[in-house]
Amino acid sequence: MATVAQPLEVARDTAAPRTRTGKAYMNPYLAGVGLGLVLLAAFVVMGRGLGASGAFSAAVAWGLSFVAPAYVRSNEYLGPYLDGGAHPLKAWLVFEVVGVFTGALLSGLLAHRVRRTVEKGPRISSRGRLAFAFAGGGLMAIGADLARGCTSGQALSGGAVLNLGSWIFMMCVFGGAYLVAPLLRRQWR
Amino acid sequence: MSAPFFKYGLFGEETSLIVAFAIGIGFGFFLERAGFGSARKLVSQFYLDDLAVFKVMFTAIVTAMLGVTYLAWLGWLDLSLVYKTPTYWVAQLVGGLVLGAGFVVGGYCPGTSVAAAATGRLDGLSYLLGVGAGTLLFAGAFPAIKGLYYAGEMGVQTLPGVLHLPYGLVVFAVVLMAVGGFAGATWVEHRRAATHEEE
Amino acid sequence: MRLTLNQRLGLAAVALGALAVFADVDRGPVLAFHEKDLLATIQQEADHVAPSELAAWIIEGRRDYRLLDLRDEKAYGEYHVPTAESVPIEALRDAVLLPNEKVVLYSDGGIHAAQAWMLLRARGHRAAYTLRGGLDAWKEAVLFPAAPADPRAVAVATFFGGAPRGGASGPAPALQAPALPKVEAAPPPRAGAAPARRKKEGC
Repeated sequence: MATVAQPLEVARDTAAPRTRTGKAYMNPYLAGVGLGLVLLAAFVVMGRGLGASGAFSAAVAWGLSFVAPAYVRSNEYLGPYLDGGAHPLKAWLVFEVVGVFTGALLSGLLAHRVRRTVEKGPRISSRGRLAFAFAGGGLMAIGADLARGCTSGQALSGGAVLNLGSWIFMMCVFGGAYLVAPLLRRQWR
Repeated sequence: MSAPFFKYGLFGEETSLIVAFAIGIGFGFFLERAGFGSARKLVSQFYLDDLAVFKVMFTAIVTAMLGVTYLAWLGWLDLSLVYKTPTYWVAQLVGGLVLGAGFVVGGYCPGTSVAAAATGRLDGLSYLLGVGAGTLLFAGAFPAIKGLYYAGEMGVQTLPGVLHLPYGLVVFAVVLMAVGGFAGATWVEHRRAATHEEE
Repeated sequence: MRLTLNQRLGLAAVALGALAVFADVDRGPVLAFHEKDLLATIQQEADHVAPSELAAWIIEGRRDYRLLDLRDEKAYGEYHVPTAESVPIEALRDAVLLPNEKVVLYSDGGIHAAQAWMLLRARGHRAAYTLRGGLDAWKEAVLFPAAPADPRAVAVATFFGGAPRGGASGPAPALQAPALPKVEAAPPPRAGAAPARRKKEGC
């Protein structure tokens, strides 16, 4: 691998896999501080934390309402997203997730890290990887819907305000991932 | 200064959506900065090669937590007005395990999958479609799993409340645990790097 | 000893964490007393409502305000103005009040009501009012108007279960429960609002 001049931050982040194109990643602690300040801003300005999974539930409720509106209204989980007549996509989380997309794109463009690609290990095909990604997304959705949040909402935001359920959730996310990782070596290594 | 500003009526719902977008930009920006638009980097956490997930997440938690604590101490932030999800410990325990599994299977969590899709990852896109499917499945199966969904209901609980410890003490403990964890993470990464070099 | 950036961050975190041990996070917000505004309100007498006004609101069945009884629960149990909620002044901080909600406060004489008014105004409640003269004035003007009282005052008094006083200042007649439209006792407003907002604030 050709050597590339390393910015000071990455020299300390010894284990970071090199990006094949574009700049190296930011010092994780600095990125964490940045993320933490964004989260703090959410607390101070809105009185709430970040999130993601709720936006997808709203989107699903909205999409499904075109095909089976009566079912959505009667569904105990999706129904509340259509309550009150307000457009389900006119929700804080939905706008926030659109922002996430925008911010990530911005950062990626600045660092020349936007590239059409499939992230995978050497021993699996792209098709296989895409299938796993789909399945993983499905699993994750079930987990997040059960837990009332995902890593951004529950773990990060709830964690920062010492919410009990969030900490339990966070521990279990790490636990579940470590338990399953050995079984999935083929996908990643 | 009265914060949270929104809860003190400083601005309305419409403006809050613009705030949401702005905050989201910051969120997505730092996710990508940290490399979390890449499934391989994220998953390295769980093969103990690259513990950036742990470092970023807990640094963010510590930063926000200290910020909230100091602002509340100064009387500039009304902590009681900051939303906390109620605890359903059984549902959240199971949900966490399932989400963790989904993390390694899919390679992302919802926020990072959006960052991935934004930077061109097709697997991120596939993941998002999977999220939609999973949500549909969950909604469809809701009557059957309702019991689990509401299991372990405890209302809003905090760690200091449950442990009967002063808030600040728990904050300090979390900081110590995180910093200790960072030192441990660095050690683990060096060991892994060293063993890889020897091979 | 030169520390790396990461080590410095870690040290800063530990230092801030150690100091945080002494944090009191329940102090609540720093309140802002805008002297000029407050004095202007007081001078214009826009800080209180008269007992007769409140009586009219109750009879009309208006629901656009909350009436808070700042006395202890025992006193509340013995008698309270119909539609009033029991919020002993010690528990004022815990009462969930929206900043633009119209709130009328009363106590026996009015001192607690005035204090609570100051606190609510400082918290940003622009529509806070005291009942002028407190419960004492309510009894004197509404429940037991001095005779000879005009027919309207008598009707109002009767509505609330009172009666005009005789010429002599005898003990107040016993109160009967007023025949008001059934109002559910001190509705827990935020509890009802919580499920509807569930999706809005969740993750």
